[in-house]
Amino acid sequence: MNIVVCVKQVPATTEVKMNKETNTIIREGIEAIINPFDTYAIEEGVRIKEQGGGKVTVISMGIPKVADLLRETIALGADEAVLLSDKAFAGADTLATAYTLSLGIKKMGPVDLIICGKQATDGDTAQVGPSLAAKLGIPHTTYVRKIEEIREGTIRCQRLTEDGYEVIEMPLPAVITVVKEINEPRIPSFKGLMKAKKAEIPVWTADEIAADESLIGLKGSPTWVVSTFVPQHNVNSEMIEGKPEEQAKILVDKLLSLQLPLSK
Amino acid sequence: MSTEIQPYQVEFDEYLRDESRSVGHADSISFPKNEDELIEIVRKLSKTEIPVTVQGARTGLAAAAVPYGGHLINIGRMTRILGARYDEQDNRFFLTAEPGVLLSQLRKAVSSGEFEIAEPDDLTQAALCRYKAGEWFFSPDPTEASAALAGMVACNASGARSFCYGPVRPYVEALRLVLVDGRTLHIRRGEQKAKGRDFCLNLDDGSYIIGKLPDYAMPKVKNASGYYIEEDMDLIDLFIGGEGTLGIITQIELRLLPMPKAVWGITTFFPDEKSALRFVRGLRGEKEATGVEFSVKPAAIEFFNHKALDLLRIQKQKIAAFAHIQELKATYYNAVYTEFHADSEEKVWEMVEQMNQMLEALGVSPEDTWVANNPRDMEKLLVFRHAVPESVNMLIDQRRQKDPAITKLGTDMAVPDQYLDKIMDMYNGEIQTNGLDYVAFGHIGDNHLHVNILPRDMEDYRKGKALYLQWANAVSAMGGTVSAEHGVGKLKAPFLAVMMTDAGIEQMRALKAVFDPQGHLNPGNMFTMKKEGDA
Ligand SMILES: Cc1cc2nc3c(=O)[nH]c(=O)nc-3n(C[C@H](O)[C@H](O)[C@H](O)COP(=O)(O)OP(=O)(O)OC[C@H]3O[C@@H](n4cnc5c(N)ncnc54)[C@H](O)[C@@H]3O)c2cc1C
Repeated sequence: MNIVVCVKQVPATTEVKMNKETNTIIREGIEAIINPFDTYAIEEGVRIKEQGGGKVTVISMGIPKVADLLRETIALGADEAVLLSDKAFAGADTLATAYTLSLGIKKMGPVDLIICGKQATDGDTAQVGPSLAAKLGIPHTTYVRKIEEIREGTIRCQRLTEDGYEVIEMPLPAVITVVKEINEPRIPSFKGLMKAKKAEIPVWTADEIAADESLIGLKGSPTWVVSTFVPQHNVNSEMIEGKPEEQAKILVDKLLSLQLPLSK
Repeated sequence: MSTEIQPYQVEFDEYLRDESRSVGHADSISFPKNEDELIEIVRKLSKTEIPVTVQGARTGLAAAAVPYGGHLINIGRMTRILGARYDEQDNRFFLTAEPGVLLSQLRKAVSSGEFEIAEPDDLTQAALCRYKAGEWFFSPDPTEASAALAGMVACNASGARSFCYGPVRPYVEALRLVLVDGRTLHIRRGEQKAKGRDFCLNLDDGSYIIGKLPDYAMPKVKNASGYYIEEDMDLIDLFIGGEGTLGIITQIELRLLPMPKAVWGITTFFPDEKSALRFVRGLRGEKEATGVEFSVKPAAIEFFNHKALDLLRIQKQKIAAFAHIQELKATYYNAVYTEFHADSEEKVWEMVEQMNQMLEALGVSPEDTWVANNPRDMEKLLVFRHAVPESVNMLIDQRRQKDPAITKLGTDMAVPDQYLDKIMDMYNGEIQTNGLDYVAFGHIGDNHLHVNILPRDMEDYRKGKALYLQWANAVSAMGGTVSAEHGVGKLKAPFLAVMMTDAGIEQMRALKAVFDPQGHLNPGNMFTMKKEGDA
């Protein structure tokens, strides 16, 4: 089983400070850590490998310093780690990030399962996992709290919902994003640490993953952050019944009837 | 109004006990909000014959804050950080705080740099300009972060890191106190010293107290038993570890240390006790223990014996909060936790590699370790360490439901280095001979273990108590102490009597009498004052 885990470097604090003028996150002077949710993704990957054999490769897009954090993932049980780092990647939004990661993963060869944390604690978008699946053209499940079974090219997992969980089965390869209920990340051992210290972390540039310049970094990022705020949660759910085509039609009609502003 | 002396009511029941689980009684209670209010309360009481017990956060383990009648002053509402000071010459940073500031609160302020000082004076403002979050830390760490600063000072608390940094004492720079008669005292380290064993202590109002220090010698181990006494001593040290018997602390100035750049915590699991003990001695620099030269001083060396791990394995199944603790493999017999502090990651690696050689010499696999070198994993190791005393308390609470007279019998004794193996054999052997249930954990670097006897019934309880007294004798004979960090309080007074002998106790009484002739302040802590008519 070839498992890839995507990780992101985030600031160690949960109180993200924003630069009011540029609407970007202030990263100076704040220690960088592995996105806490990604540590659960790493642990899950390592556990699957320990039970059924295989290999866990960690991938991250980030500045050269992220190599240190990738070394840490090796201490936590990953076999290898790859860093996608290039000035051209700078300023990427979730779409460009997903595209870049998808190229890195394609370069690795055949993959069975890709695991991401449910979201990063700095941006909180939870978009990269699902976008990555779309870019790779494979199915995904978000908020996985338990993997029930991996067998004969399928994965069955429990997806956390507001009032319980759903059981979802998908063909592999697939992407899952995990919540912290899924496991308890281990503390590295000496052995892991020594291995991490010696590990080489290859760095792949935009050229090396044959990236389309217009789809990476700031250029490839259609997202404009106008303002950020904490959303008010006021969810009224309505279940739509029927065949998939009927459901889709009802949903589109409903959305149109709301007359939401559309971007040009 | 918070200078009010309220009659005792059942709603105050929680204030009658501390973490030793002993329960006392009181006639009245007060909750002063600042120094002035506290002084006013003490002055009112000084005109009466009412004894006073002062309490901090009641995390103490020796019932020192448990009242046996009289008035109870709870300082839990005096929780402001008042000021800061930076000593440029020696690069030292000081904070002044009210006595009820909790250790957790102080730590948060120190790590974030947000002190919330209401009216900063010029010195404070200047100091805060120089302050950078993450560059300083307060080293004392008595495990229980909900302890109040005054409680820690009154007990001269220690903790894991005291192996390298010492107890609270050296970090107390100045104190403000109110004596039982309402007079006040501001004492700063270096300003008022004894001459030999005679002293004259100047008070704020120009009056003074003259007295004689006891002539006992302090044991040459980590110690929190009895008044700290030294020839020519700094008189501030009388109040640190004085268990609130000489004066009530109303303000504390603490010294912070520069934060080491690299902090690593390592828990190593051993297959038997002998190899764990050899490892401990190796870490202390005793080359003959492992054949490996270990040249640095770890910040902490802690031990969790096989019974402690067994208890954790059980509680982990039962208690949701402990479910997060890492899996304890069946081959793990016991654990040693070490902490390394250094100026750079490279330096820690050097220490860690030497440590690894030691493990190799002992035949321990590098896989049987948990290594934390970031706050995320350090926190996990802390949860693990804290879970041991917490599990013990839960178990005892359970057993008390069957028989409320049962309490935990927790030792706090330390002996000189050469007796480490001997004391471990003594504990294990005598527990087994008596058929008792127990766990042992704690600060093994200082030969200072908390043996917790866990009585299943009153028969066990009686046996345990007898054993405890027997150990107090044995430890005293080795030149050790009956309480190395929790303080004597009320529960360990009989053991202090063994360690100090009658003459020592009599001299301590005489010292207390010059501050508190009636014995009204924190009565029963360490010793009881003789009443008229006593033999
Ligand atoms: C799980 C657990 C683990 C612990 N581990 C350690 C450890 O590793 N090392 C260690 O040293 N301790 C340890 N302790 C106990 C430790 O003694 C207390 O945590 C602390 O030092 C006492 O603080 P407190 O505020 O709770 O004081 P209290 O228990 O309220 O009082 C303790 C003493 O301080 C006196 N006092 C309080 N306020 C004042 C004041 N304003 N003026 C004068 N006297 C005052 C009281 O009269 C009493 O004598 C542990 C406790 C627990 C529960």
